[in-house]
Amino acid sequence: MSAFLARNRLIVLAYAGMMVLLLVTALFSPGFLSVSNMRSTVVLAAFVGIVALGQTFVIIGGGIDLSVPWVLNSAAIVMALLCGGQDLPLVWVMPLLLAGGAFIGLINGVGVAQFGVPPIIMTLATNVILQGLILVLTGGSPTPSAPALIQFLSVGRFSGFPVIALIWLALTLVATLLLSKAAFGRHLYALGTSATVAEFSGVPTARTTILTYVISGLTAAFAGMLLTGYSGQAYLGMGDAYLFTSIAAVAIGGASILGGSGHYLGTVAGAMVLTILTGLLPALNLSSGALLIVYGAVILLTVSIGSETFAGLGGRLRRKEG
Amino acid sequence: MDLVTVKGLSKRYGGIVALSEATFSARAGEVHALLGENGAGKSTFIQILSGAVRHDGGSILVDGQDYRPANPDAAQARGIAAVFQELSLIPDLSVEQNIWFRHEPRTFLRTVNRTEMRRKTLALLDKYNFPSLRPEQELRRLTLAERQIVEIAKGLAKDPRILILDEATSALPAREAEWLLKLTRQLAAEGRLVIFISHRMAEVRAIADRLTIFRNGSTIAVHEANAVSDNEIVTQMIGRHLDRLYPERIATATDRIALSVKGFSSGSRLSGVDFALREGEVLGVGGLQGHGQRELFQSLFGASKASGTVELWGKPVSIGNPRQALTGKDGIALVPEDRRGQGLLLTKSVRENLTLSVIKRFTENGLLSRQKEAALVKEMVDFLRIKAGTPEQLAGTLSGGNQQKVIFGKMLLTQARVLLLYDPTRGVDVGTKGEIFQLMRDLAAKGYAILFHSSDMPELVHVADRVLVMRNGGIAATLEGDRISEASILRAAMLESEAA
Repeated sequence: MSAFLARNRLIVLAYAGMMVLLLVTALFSPGFLSVSNMRSTVVLAAFVGIVALGQTFVIIGGGIDLSVPWVLNSAAIVMALLCGGQDLPLVWVMPLLLAGGAFIGLINGVGVAQFGVPPIIMTLATNVILQGLILVLTGGSPTPSAPALIQFLSVGRFSGFPVIALIWLALTLVATLLLSKAAFGRHLYALGTSATVAEFSGVPTARTTILTYVISGLTAAFAGMLLTGYSGQAYLGMGDAYLFTSIAAVAIGGASILGGSGHYLGTVAGAMVLTILTGLLPALNLSSGALLIVYGAVILLTVSIGSETFAGLGGRLRRKEG
Repeated sequence: MDLVTVKGLSKRYGGIVALSEATFSARAGEVHALLGENGAGKSTFIQILSGAVRHDGGSILVDGQDYRPANPDAAQARGIAAVFQELSLIPDLSVEQNIWFRHEPRTFLRTVNRTEMRRKTLALLDKYNFPSLRPEQELRRLTLAERQIVEIAKGLAKDPRILILDEATSALPAREAEWLLKLTRQLAAEGRLVIFISHRMAEVRAIADRLTIFRNGSTIAVHEANAVSDNEIVTQMIGRHLDRLYPERIATATDRIALSVKGFSSGSRLSGVDFALREGEVLGVGGLQGHGQRELFQSLFGASKASGTVELWGKPVSIGNPRQALTGKDGIALVPEDRRGQGLLLTKSVRENLTLSVIKRFTENGLLSRQKEAALVKEMVDFLRIKAGTPEQLAGTLSGGNQQKVIFGKMLLTQARVLLLYDPTRGVDVGTKGEIFQLMRDLAAKGYAILFHSSDMPELVHVADRVLVMRNGGIAATLEGDRISEASILRAAMLESEAA
């Protein structure tokens, strides 16, 4: 057990940070720890967590996915348009849009792995192209409201628990199995640590890279549909906030932004920390400008404390005795 | 008077004692060899001298003055420069920009004076007779050996009174290594002190005036180089008697062809290579560096492209990437040249490194079995006697010899029985070298087929059954039995290239 804690000390740290933040928030705003408030915090965190799931895989593999905002936004808007407020079309619309998200991920992955385009450029480009396509498609006009079924998935309850929290839990299990219990996870950590060593060891580096972007496309599209249910309709720009939060959740969760380390269990804590922060800051009675400044500063601080990049792992290795 | 006097030097890292009461003294104008196994404390000692690490206890006097540098710049200010095994060069800069990095000659506007930099570079290269370096070459286009030479030039550019060379010859082919040995004598003749670290006894013999032997962080002995035998030195280094470095060469080759290569070509680097490697055979590959050895090994492993026919165990194969090379019992495995860049995940555990190529072997219904994995890891740790605290220790914290063993273990687990070993003893201590040679013979006796390149020629002479000598991307000669000698390898490697 202690070996487990030592190996995953950054993840443990992320959860410790989350608990401290909860207590501090409870001090400033006593109602914060109430059941109903915790419930809505978890629901909000779930959206960040689901987008950050794919982002976690991409970042561990040594890449980054900047296309999540408009993959999310496109799925949301196209779903609302195709369903026109009806539940029934969801039967084919949801699988179609998940496939669409996966397809965008495939394009990102093939661009990065097969054509050597740097991940930042590749995913930034798909993001802008999707934004353009959606603007052409909608002409900027508002979309029909979200189908009731999707609203149930995002704000409904199942024996007292928010449905989306249960979905998040199931996805966390799947992600954990993939990272800790499957060959894919081993390949992924090796790839992110050193692509050359992975290649020389027989790891299918191209396939592994592509798969991470496909997963990220899937989770971003899924989150987009759920978010439409939460806000009642789809609108332009609804994904923008998730670029920063998905990456910050991964970093706060203890992953190195350079790849090779981290775990989705850490990202879950990261998503919670970010969401609790947005609950704490209004309680401090700051202006909205000051609020953003504090928000950014706190995230910078959290990531600096936790991140391997700053912990000087390289330094520890260089002091190798010999 | 001694230029450097070290007394009672101690350094701890947490619970690990790296140096304990070490002593050392050396004069200006001498070449002083520092010997010891990996882990003996040599690296810590020179890191302290060069300002990279601060000591806990003891004293260092340089010119009779107390010496305790806060950083490498402070060490350089006192005239001490070091050339380390791990290179500190920047791939995107040119040779000369690397040599003068942070010490560039300036114009009166404080911009870099390129004319002056070029002049100083050429003067430096000329003064010390540097082999084949052009100041404007981009570093990333250079081979590992050429980079090592740039690193040496960078050390010399600081005009140090004390120059530390840490395994500087290990990456160099024979001719360049010889040049470096001449250079150290030249530097000593100029009145400088050269502290020279090498695992190659012949080199130490050739140039050192005196030698200091470290073991377990302490100084064991100081000798005049001409008053001590190789055997005494090795015994003092490892603290016990080492029977012999090279195992007995028992012919175990059968008639069965394990690897057959015909018309193997790749651009101008490889031209029409033909050879056959038999089951149970250790086939050496020699020649001057840069004559196609690297391309041959990498192409056979699928890490770079080549054309021609390759047959494994009688079956024609087409290997497009390392993954295909490693697949199945009839696969082909490579222990690569660059241990840290191609062989090991330094920030991952010994366990994860060992099993990286064989994840399928402990996957059941799509899930990893940690028990089965532990059994595979234990098999290799025991078989190769890998010295790690636990299998969870990070590979980057192991000594060079143990890192190399982990890479061997990773490749042996794949069950491929054709092994490509590219300079497997580079930067490995003498005890582990002996173990690696023994392992190669043992594997050959078990029916493995081994293609073996070494930049240290005596290794080829003493370990290989036959030696292929490469020249200009082709096989210039195949030497067998009594015809294998350093002289015959060199002759075959150089004859035509000298004429050309």
